[in-house]
Amino acid sequence: MATRKKVLLKVIILGDSSVGKTSLMNQYVNKKFTNQYKATIGADFLTKEVMVDDRIVTMQIWDTAGQERFQSLGVAFYRGADCCVLVFDVTSPGSFKSLDGWRDEFLIQASPSDPDHFPFVVLGNKVDLDNRAVSTKRAQQWCQSKNGLPYFETSAKEAVNVEQAFKTIARNALAQESDVELYNEFPDQIKLDGGSSDNRSSGGDNCAC
Amino acid sequence: MDSNNTSKKFKEQLIKNVKKEVKQIMEEAVTRKFVHEESGSITSLCAAVEACLSQGLRRRALGLFKTSSTTALLHKMAKNFEPASIISQKVQEMENIDPNKPIILRRDSMASPRICPSCILNRRGSLTWLLFSNEKSVVVSPFRRSSSLTPARICTCTLNRRRSLTWLLFGNDNSDSCATRAASVNSTLTSSITLPNVHPPPLTKKNSAGSGLGPTSITLPKYLWIRLALFEKLLAVIIDHLVQNCSKYYEKDSLVADPDYGSILSSLLVGPCALDYSRTKSHDQFWTDPPADELVQRHRISSGYHTSPPCRTPINYRRNLHATSNDDNQRQTPISAKDYVESLHQNNRVTLLYGKNNVLVLPKDVTEPMAGYLSLHQTANSLIIKWTPNQLMNCHSPGTNQNDHPEIDASDKSQYWDYAMNVNVDEIVYVHCHQQGNDNGGTIVLVAQDGVQQPPIHFPQGGHLLAFLTCLENGLLPHGQLDPPLWPQRGKGKVFPKLRRKGRSQVQDISNDLSSNTEESRDYVFQIISKARHEEFLSRGEEILDSKIWSMPSAANNMLNKVRGHLESSSTNSSTSTSSSLDPVASPLLINNQTTSKDTGDSLQILCETMKKQIISRAFYGWLAYCRHLTTVRTHLSGLVNTVIIDSSDAETGLTKEKWYSFKNDSNLVNDDTKLEIFRLTYFGGVQHDIRKEVWPFLLGHYKFGSTVEEQNAVDLHCKQEYETTMSEWMAVEAIIRQKDRETMAANLAKLSSESTSGGDAPPPTPNTSKVLSQELSNDVFEDNINFSSDEDNPPVVDDTQLEHNVEVCDNPTSQPNINEHLENIPKEIDCDKKSLSSDEGLGKDEVTEKDMTIKKNTSEDTSLYCPTSVIVTTNISQEKSMENSNDENDKIDNKDNNNTSKLAVDDNEGAGGSNHEQRSACISPASSQGGIYPVELVENFGLNVHRIDKDVQRCDRNYPYFTLENLDKLRNIICTYVWDHLEMGYMQGMCDLVAPLLVILDDETLSYSCFCLLMERMSANFPHSGGAMDTHFANMRSLVQILDSEMFELMHENGDFTHFYFCYRWFLLDFKRELLYDDVFTVWETIWAAKEMSSSHFVLFFALALVETYRDIILANHMDFTDIIKFFNEMAEHHDAKTVLSLARNLVLQLQTLIENK
Repeated sequence: MATRKKVLLKVIILGDSSVGKTSLMNQYVNKKFTNQYKATIGADFLTKEVMVDDRIVTMQIWDTAGQERFQSLGVAFYRGADCCVLVFDVTSPGSFKSLDGWRDEFLIQASPSDPDHFPFVVLGNKVDLDNRAVSTKRAQQWCQSKNGLPYFETSAKEAVNVEQAFKTIARNALAQESDVELYNEFPDQIKLDGGSSDNRSSGGDNCAC
Repeated sequence: MDSNNTSKKFKEQLIKNVKKEVKQIMEEAVTRKFVHEESGSITSLCAAVEACLSQGLRRRALGLFKTSSTTALLHKMAKNFEPASIISQKVQEMENIDPNKPIILRRDSMASPRICPSCILNRRGSLTWLLFSNEKSVVVSPFRRSSSLTPARICTCTLNRRRSLTWLLFGNDNSDSCATRAASVNSTLTSSITLPNVHPPPLTKKNSAGSGLGPTSITLPKYLWIRLALFEKLLAVIIDHLVQNCSKYYEKDSLVADPDYGSILSSLLVGPCALDYSRTKSHDQFWTDPPADELVQRHRISSGYHTSPPCRTPINYRRNLHATSNDDNQRQTPISAKDYVESLHQNNRVTLLYGKNNVLVLPKDVTEPMAGYLSLHQTANSLIIKWTPNQLMNCHSPGTNQNDHPEIDASDKSQYWDYAMNVNVDEIVYVHCHQQGNDNGGTIVLVAQDGVQQPPIHFPQGGHLLAFLTCLENGLLPHGQLDPPLWPQRGKGKVFPKLRRKGRSQVQDISNDLSSNTEESRDYVFQIISKARHEEFLSRGEEILDSKIWSMPSAANNMLNKVRGHLESSSTNSSTSTSSSLDPVASPLLINNQTTSKDTGDSLQILCETMKKQIISRAFYGWLAYCRHLTTVRTHLSGLVNTVIIDSSDAETGLTKEKWYSFKNDSNLVNDDTKLEIFRLTYFGGVQHDIRKEVWPFLLGHYKFGSTVEEQNAVDLHCKQEYETTMSEWMAVEAIIRQKDRETMAANLAKLSSESTSGGDAPPPTPNTSKVLSQELSNDVFEDNINFSSDEDNPPVVDDTQLEHNVEVCDNPTSQPNINEHLENIPKEIDCDKKSLSSDEGLGKDEVTEKDMTIKKNTSEDTSLYCPTSVIVTTNISQEKSMENSNDENDKIDNKDNNNTSKLAVDDNEGAGGSNHEQRSACISPASSQGGIYPVELVENFGLNVHRIDKDVQRCDRNYPYFTLENLDKLRNIICTYVWDHLEMGYMQGMCDLVAPLLVILDDETLSYSCFCLLMERMSANFPHSGGAMDTHFANMRSLVQILDSEMFELMHENGDFTHFYFCYRWFLLDFKRELLYDDVFTVWETIWAAKEMSSSHFVLFFALALVETYRDIILANHMDFTDIIKFFNEMAEHHDAKTVLSLARNLVLQLQTLIENK
């Protein structure tokens, strides 16, 4: 019960427009779903206190606009992120295809100290719909190809898996936070094999539709 | 039957209570970041649950005779239900901590008088828990009487939840035993404790409820097991178990056994059981991050005494000059009533040191002394004494929800705000104390540096004067002290006897008229010496213009004959401390002063002379700074406003129907001369809603002022034709896109199913399959091209006949001139395809969809054709054939290219250019789509846009009744048309929001389109990648804030990021459309349009500034940073009072205009 330092975890949600970023955030934080959300303009965030392994952390979850061209704005929001949530819509292969772009964009903008091990979590949203177009397998393959990113299939509407997903997000973000100090001691450890990971990501492309 | 009914009602009531409490707690969880375990709403919820569970309990059968508690029920259940046993065990563990009594008895002795008030309170608000936690930490210990600062702080911390603690205090006016700061709250409950000292909160986890307040009592909270079960998230399960097995524990007619209510009860609790409860909070978290509405609410309470920031002097040039530490003090100096409210709610920056109600003060211009609440607050670097009349405090009774009465007769209360006192102790030099008779209370007069006296503060009897001074002295430490100190032998526990010392202490002969009727022997004067003041001064170095130093002599003058001795010492103090750092001119004088300090007359004279010089130089620098500042303003901001100030007289009514028609009737048209008047009326008062439809096209420039009706009709006709032309163009392309989507989706589905059937390791698609796919895709594009390209005599609008025609043509896939190029493009194209692909079966395309369907049916015959192989065949055929015919076809098709495609279709069709232009004039029909060959890029690009548009149109203002499917269709058409015409810009999120209000008002597609185009002339630059107007806005905002609200500017400056003004992003992008309700959007928009003519073409800036200014006090008081502000304004969206903000915005424009004009 010792009072440890209060931890603030910054989480960024990225993904194509209308994949359900706002809904996921609100489902998680407010336990509410409404079909009244409009396209997000600018950025908004919600905070939630959670318990991660006996530690109280405050998650600051940033919801962003989905249209790429608004992302140039996002730099200020990306910086200092502890975890990045990539969301796609399982009924929209296009949004799945964009994950690569979002991931790269994030890594460029946020420039985390160790891009290869930066915690991303991938969410395939809208599993409640029946016109599914991206299979679990494909999504998993993609995640596997990126150093095994955690993958969850969620439904913000029906609150499927949302809690679990964000638990993982919080845990990974927290791990990242404590790792940061470690890595800072060994700045040389930053790996320069970006090329190989690129190759892998293009390999991931092949398996997409 | 009767009893049945009443019991039913009772049960209903019980359930209703639970519902209410559940709602409360869920809301708490939403608006805050957590639910604290000590939250009052938890107690209330537990109580409600307990009440439900107690009803109809089979006590006898269960052997629960003596008690009304359900705890025994839990222990019973524990025997055969796992979760219950977990909780039961925990309960027992906790009970064992307390060695004194069996806990059940204590918990059940709820009838004890001490609990009663809290129960009542509990019903009013959720203060119960606060009070309990308060009791727990205050334990009477007769041995520790010295009041030291630290434990007292702990106590005040526990007292503070940010809810209206002080309202409670004021609700209990009769309690009169507040002795120390901590006691002020306790006394409302425990009047027996007069001087409680503070015991650090015990470490035991659940010690906070208190009915048995023994010397060493550690008591458990009420409803312990329910509470624990809730925290462990097992409550719902346990109650569900009870409901399932109700026959065992409950009477038949009990609530739990009721088939409906029972399950309702258990399911109600599922929600709260999903929440996180925590208690490992630092105290800070009790008061951090109140949600925006609460901030505003708090602010509103004080709005009766609104200092109205916009009405402040436009420029605080002096503050800019000497901005730094000085400013901090000033910020802490509360100038508005808000601060009373704010700081009476203790927060993390301000600690409540002392509070006493029913302190009498005789404000100026009042004949009768008024009772009020005196409080002493400690901020980071100063102490503040506040006194607030009871009339103000009582205007909100503790139980009243302030939400319900936001506008409490402000006029009525405003005078009381004038009486309220708010004194920064930094500014106080002397504290005069007068005591009348033996313990007949006492009076304090605070005298400021400038000699001004605050109204006398009269304490009721009972040592409150002393208590106040004690707190004051403690508060002054370590940087200041009272001189003479109250208790030089502090720590010896002689708190009270000190008073006797006053007789011997430096007796001040107060010949003041105020003190004339008091006993001399009981009067004395304390000087407040602030070391910090001197240190601060030293650190300031050459800044000789420090207000505190130079204002000293004026105080000195006033007091000259009265408190000579003190003055002597104080002037010496100041001179010694200043001499070392002052500039060469001043310091010799002061040193001289020091040496001759015995001669007070001389030293004072010298001091005064120095001051005179300083005042003059200060004035000069002030003037200089002001001049420089104005130059900056003129250079940078004069472009933002028009130079001519328009008179607002009689314009507040706005443009009414009568006025509009009188304008129209005068000349039977809206005359050019009346244009200015119309703009003026609109700017100052808005347009009456009924005539907006008529007025808006004029305001936006769709119709020219002074144009005849015929001219207007001509404009309309022209727009309509253009609109329809463009629409038919993009609809043709859209048909292609739809077709493609279908194909791609089918392919995806096929792939998905093949993947899922293939089991094991699904192999990545081989090059073969992907090739098949791409061929299929390109082929589709292709066939659609033919549909239109080979069609010569199309009617203006694509209709069914055309479709049939198309169908015929497309059965003949010979006219494919550029198949080769297409095939080369495949790899690129397929990539894009996937990107743009959407399963969206959106709105607004029924017409198109129908056509689509027909086309699809004919081209691909059957959905079974989605099978890749069959498509390959088609492709091959068409390829061969096109090889044969390509040359001939090329020319033929090129000729058919009309105006649009020649522009857009920068295709690989060589030799198209020249001949096209000749064709253009011949083509009168708007069906430019007829012969279009659309380059892949175009189709891709537009396809991407269409998909985005569909997504956003669907989501646009779904809750606004106007947007039925039909109207959403219109919205979509408008945007698609616009995007088609501006493909290089493309669709951008936010366009929907800009079209929507136009469409709502104009309710006409063509007109809305035209107006939207006009609107976008200004707005498009705001969007990313198209003008960078946003950065200009931010920069301008920055300058405006700097000029018009320097205090705010400094706050923003502190938080570097803040200056980016990102929180304004959506405001500017959408002209505040998302920030306001629809009705307000209309008004604000037309004001913005009219402002261009009237005051400023950058009115948005001023509206934004007005928004910031409206909440400036909240922003400043809470010291909001970048993220806080974003959150605040996002939460405040659609909650603004647009009228006020709008008039404030006009006012701000006027301010800047005056500033610039005033040369």
